[in-house]
Amino acid sequence: MADRDPGMSAAPATGGYVGRAVRTLEGRAPIAGAARYSSDFSFPGQLHAAIVRSPHARARILKVDLSGARKVAGVVLAMDGREVAAHLGPIPHYIDPATFGGKSAEVRTMAVDHVWCYGQPVAVVVAADRRTARWAASRVQVAYEVEPAVLTVEDAIAPDAPKVVPGFDDNVIMAVPFRNGDPDAAFARADHVVTTTVRIHRFSTQPIETRCYNAVWEEETESLTLYGTAQNPHPLRHVLAKVLGMPEGRIRVHAPAIGGAFGMKMHGHPEESLVCLLAKLLRRPVKWVESREECLLIGAREQVHHLELALSKEGDLLALRDRFFANTGAPSACPGWGMAFLTGLTMPGPYRVRDIDVTMTALVTNKPSWNAARGYGKEATALALELALDEAARRLGFDPAELRIRNFVPADAFPYASPTGLQYDSGDYAGAVRKAMAAIGWDEWRARQAEGPREGRYLGLGIAYELTPEGGALPGTMVAGYDSSTVRVAPDGSVRVLTGVTTPGTGNPTGIAQIVADELGCPIEWISVVQGDTTTCPYGFGNYSGRSTIVGGGSAALAARAVRAQMEAVAAAMLGVGVQALRLSDGVFDGGDGRSLAFADVAWAAYTRAYDVASCITPPLEAQATFRPPNIRHSPDAEGRINPYPSYSNAAYATVVEVDSATGQVKLLAFAAAHDCGRVINPLLVEGQACGAIAFGLGGALMEEIRFDAGGHQLTRSFMDYVMPRAEDMPGVTLVHHDSPNPDTYMGLKGAGEAGVGGSAAAVVNAVNDALRPFGVAIHDLPLSPARVWAAIHGRSGAAGGAA
Amino acid sequence: MDDLAQSVLVQWRVNGVLHELDVLPGLSLLDVLREQLNLTGTHMGCMTGHCGACTVMIDGRIAKSCIAQAATLPRAEIRTIEGLMGPDGRLSPVQQAFWDEAGFQCGYCAPGMLFSAIELLAETPDPTDAEIDSALAGSLCRCTGYQSLRRAVRAAARALKDPNPD
Ligand code: FES
Ligand code: FES
Repeated sequence: MADRDPGMSAAPATGGYVGRAVRTLEGRAPIAGAARYSSDFSFPGQLHAAIVRSPHARARILKVDLSGARKVAGVVLAMDGREVAAHLGPIPHYIDPATFGGKSAEVRTMAVDHVWCYGQPVAVVVAADRRTARWAASRVQVAYEVEPAVLTVEDAIAPDAPKVVPGFDDNVIMAVPFRNGDPDAAFARADHVVTTTVRIHRFSTQPIETRCYNAVWEEETESLTLYGTAQNPHPLRHVLAKVLGMPEGRIRVHAPAIGGAFGMKMHGHPEESLVCLLAKLLRRPVKWVESREECLLIGAREQVHHLELALSKEGDLLALRDRFFANTGAPSACPGWGMAFLTGLTMPGPYRVRDIDVTMTALVTNKPSWNAARGYGKEATALALELALDEAARRLGFDPAELRIRNFVPADAFPYASPTGLQYDSGDYAGAVRKAMAAIGWDEWRARQAEGPREGRYLGLGIAYELTPEGGALPGTMVAGYDSSTVRVAPDGSVRVLTGVTTPGTGNPTGIAQIVADELGCPIEWISVVQGDTTTCPYGFGNYSGRSTIVGGGSAALAARAVRAQMEAVAAAMLGVGVQALRLSDGVFDGGDGRSLAFADVAWAAYTRAYDVASCITPPLEAQATFRPPNIRHSPDAEGRINPYPSYSNAAYATVVEVDSATGQVKLLAFAAAHDCGRVINPLLVEGQACGAIAFGLGGALMEEIRFDAGGHQLTRSFMDYVMPRAEDMPGVTLVHHDSPNPDTYMGLKGAGEAGVGGSAAAVVNAVNDALRPFGVAIHDLPLSPARVWAAIHGRSGAAGGAA
Repeated sequence: MDDLAQSVLVQWRVNGVLHELDVLPGLSLLDVLREQLNLTGTHMGCMTGHCGACTVMIDGRIAKSCIAQAATLPRAEIRTIEGLMGPDGRLSPVQQAFWDEAGFQCGYCAPGMLFSAIELLAETPDPTDAEIDSALAGSLCRCTGYQSLRRAVRAAARALKDPNPD
């Protein structure tokens, strides 16, 4: 199949659905209570697993005593980490640090002899029902010898730090310099150097549906089916095969409806292979449903940035220096640690500065591991840069918007080669900033702010920009840039699309159906989209990096075009006219001579008249195609750089907050975003993605935080402590589009799934710091909890990050 | 969990159907609905009463089924999300509005949002945005940022006032 035909970025022959607000086809089932999520599946003989987890951050395991659990009626199996390790190999890394010159730790399903984080699985119990399994798990006795834990970046880089991974010579899994030009010379000639330390805390995606895996062993064929919350069924199947020592062909992974994923349901989690082993040993289905407390173990995003900006007195950004450290927790096979790499690679975001000196250091500690989290490190780039720019504007007296606009990559510079080797496809950053400011009514708010505080409440205005590379591909990993789809037209004319991309519940099947409906010239109701099953779908890489519509939609369009060509050939033969004379719309082939044929009649003929009108085609009406975005580049340039992304979504965010000086409480009064995600297939879906990501950013900036005590015990263990935005916390979002089409993707698409987390968080922080100007303080430590804001206002500790 | 545990007989009308069930003490209503009655439209998100994914109606009032002990409800009229549709299998006006307005993405939070909207609109046919927000505030949605949910509640209010716009 051709990856790209000359018309790839052109509109389909028949327009109609693309660009329209079509409600999702798959959206009815959950509303009727009929959608089936992973935990809704149960099978005859169903058993349930519960996991015993370490209450210590770092410890030696002296003894695991399973006898108490085994005595509980209803328990069928109890195993410790050592027993499990006899059956299961190490978990292959989703993104192996060693592939990129880092260090890779061997990751086991459960702790053997040594625990390296709070919450690490130590033993497992299987019983006839979940409560019995949990009760029995509480009766497992483990003797530990507790060792001092490495919890913070400072702990991890201390010269005498204990080693998180036995055998490593330090706690660094990867350190990468991103250097370009001559930053030292630029700093030497700068009029101003502004330093800012930005501390981004640990927060997490927390979908409302937790993870669940249910493994079914079939003795007759010695094969395994895993039903579960998997964003990437085919790559997970590969991992299971390796860990279990089985051929991939005897494993099926089926991901039913998913209740939000946001990266957390990318694989590498120990429970995936563990339930498979248990089902195989017991020859019965074994299910594990993650509790919220367990879900909160999975962290992300914690970084410390030490930034220096070199500026001319006119406000030109001459050079950027950033030494940053990521606290990625204990080693994991999940792809979370790679977020730190992306934070560095995305520097310096939308800014045209060429002289940069950025070093990324990804550290392991004895906190629980990360997994991927929407934004995938690019949100941290935005937070670090945007807070530092506002700090520079404040100190040097520049207008924050003007300082940004002056330093953006200009709209006529695309395609633009970034100093880290990325190839930005398109954009108009200055235009987006102006649109966002107009949308929020910036000048009116400024005028209100000038009237002074009311009853101790201070207004603040903030803007921020975020560049979000999406659709990524990393060489040598299952993070692939391409994907595949099959389009089938049945003899009755109904259409089935099978695709390798999956949906975490975002509506991408409907976006794909809209594209196929237009390509095939048929009503969207005739189309069903099948995803998430390794047995029926083409080999694919699933959902991550805002890729699903770019490559799922792109490949489905190519496959649909091939099927359409088959049908046109048959229709032309049936009517005795040339293919060029045909016109297809609304499911009717019009011969141009007053005669027409129904779509279904042509489909029937294609199947049943293979020796006359359909002899011109090879039945069945089916085609598979792959879309491989042509602008991803993995062959390194002279500097060894690659371009792993095909699309560079970007957006400007503007917000107004009110800070109550008596309580430190921050209230969001208004929020606007001007968003460039390329061509919009369905504005409802794009709005949903943008508003959801903005809620992540606002929650992260103000309230969500996973905390530990000094000994490394996790304190945040329920939604009582992990406070996420509710309806009352979210301002209305004014979303305006400022789209520039991507020249290299189907119809100009860019990713729309990840943008928004960092830009919205940064806008809020900048707005709060704007409100705090009268107090002469600014906060660069997140989150901006009421206590921290209050402390800053009242001159107490906690306002580290700098007096302005 | 305990062989000696004394199960309790309860009589519930669930979505109009009468059930007599033996339930173990300590089981939540959520567990019984999902595991004994196979009503899996009611979801688990936290088991601590914070997320609302497990919302049902007990005797006409919305409640979080994860923190309701099944054995403390000897007799109850229970409605789950599966019971919101009309007998003809059509979506109710509130459900239809949520679908038409793309209120949800993954839909996992649907029980809390739909029941909250139904209860709100029964008492306040013309809610303000602030009233909508406070009605939805008992439930968490991680996908939408609430904007589409608010729009859906407003559309549902319109639909209930004027059932046949055309
Ligand atoms: S599961 Fe009941 S409120 Fe979350
Ligand atoms: S739509 Fe996914 S949690 Fe609400």
